[in-house]
Amino acid sequence: MTDQADPLAQFSNALATRAELAKSAVVAIRLAHERHITGMVWQPGIVVASEQSLPRKDDFELVAAGGSVLTARIAGRDPSTNIAILRLAEQVAAPSIAAGEAHTGAVVLAIGADGTGGASARLGLVNLAGAEWHSSRGGLIDRRIVLDVSLARREEGGPVFDAAGACLGMSTFGPRGQVIAIPTATIERIVPLLLKDGRIARGWLGVALQAVAVPDALRETADQSSGLMVMSVVEDGPAAQAGIVAGDIILSVDGTSTHRLRNIARYFGAGSIGRKADLRLIRSGTVITVQTTIAERRAA
Amino acid sequence: MSDTASKLATSGRLRVAVCAVDLLRRTALSRVVAEAGHIVVGAQDTADVVLADGDCLPGETRPVVTLGGADYDLPGVLSRHAGARQIDAAIRAVSAGLIVRLPDATDTGFGAMRETDGHALLTPREHEVLATLAEGLTNKAIARRLDISLHTVKFHVESLFRKLGARTRTEAVAKASERRRHEMITL
Repeated sequence: MTDQADPLAQFSNALATRAELAKSAVVAIRLAHERHITGMVWQPGIVVASEQSLPRKDDFELVAAGGSVLTARIAGRDPSTNIAILRLAEQVAAPSIAAGEAHTGAVVLAIGADGTGGASARLGLVNLAGAEWHSSRGGLIDRRIVLDVSLARREEGGPVFDAAGACLGMSTFGPRGQVIAIPTATIERIVPLLLKDGRIARGWLGVALQAVAVPDALRETADQSSGLMVMSVVEDGPAAQAGIVAGDIILSVDGTSTHRLRNIARYFGAGSIGRKADLRLIRSGTVITVQTTIAERRAA
Repeated sequence: MSDTASKLATSGRLRVAVCAVDLLRRTALSRVVAEAGHIVVGAQDTADVVLADGDCLPGETRPVVTLGGADYDLPGVLSRHAGARQIDAAIRAVSAGLIVRLPDATDTGFGAMRETDGHALLTPREHEVLATLAEGLTNKAIARRLDISLHTVKFHVESLFRKLGARTRTEAVAKASERRRHEMITL
């Protein structure tokens, strides 16, 4: 048959077959006003979704492949990696997910849920595959994966497959409408922690901070050009108990300079909880050291 | 006339609770709401609409207009940079039971931690001057408040304009407030 020989027809058929197969990998997570977002069936009874777009509530209605309506309850959310998980009230089989490696220029198929039990598909490229990065909320994302794919809001949270059918990650929106993927490796790392504790533990001082330039007169004593100025202090938090006040400029935490934010983000990982930390800071023109005990971040 | 239509038609004032952690931001938003002819009430008071800078408290039962909040399930979702006209329109629409969305949400999204640009960082003194600019103080009044010379005030204001890329005092306050939202980190 000429059809069989035509590479474009073969390509198209292959994509359509993949999209059909991917139906069982997605669910629609119902929102108000007849809208929905997409969730990925990650393991039996567990759905992964985009944390930033999941309403702050406990119970959800899901539409699974074929159109059956299921109920699910939030089992954990981590804003720092944009991963949330929902536990289904009944068991739903999960397709086996093979982790794929993103390469710039590779063809990808992004799958969403159509809201009635079917899938919607988007074809594109890996626009950029880069190194690990830290989110503005302090989470470590294993790879930077930017996609050249247009995505509807209702499709956010679905799987992104490469040409071999391996899963590169979960689709989501970055800044300015950019479509990115949270890598499969990150989901594999975070889901077991969320299943265990419902959240990702992080160290906490109870302060809001903004980077400021160290005044010229103090630069030599401080030995760095920028620090983090305390803008507000949470009542009864570790910082408040240590006597930290608004206007203090934190230069380092246990020797980790606040000049590079990602180093500080890394320092405040789960391992920092309970640690006694020396805060080096500028207060009314002098550099002083204050000791505090890092607590665990309260639920958002 | 339906309830929705009558609410939209009234030039009536709405009771609006303004929720913003940042004082600078709360002052600015309260002013926008008041200038649109509404009544600003306390965060916990009875209100027709809640205007939240970012996310509102979980379990909020009143209709909410969020500026750049992450919860797309709220009735009103505007960008962080929404102007006075958009805010007023959204408040009225949401109080009337409508939902408000941007045609294309552009500034939300899961982004990277921004390392700060050393050259453009403000000094603590510049932050103080900025706060007085936000209050609408004149250079003379700023000098009195901070107990520094008029010359020094001018020096700081010029430095602020340069670092923030602003041409007017209002623009400097707006840009600094935007920057703070992007750069504020909590530990």
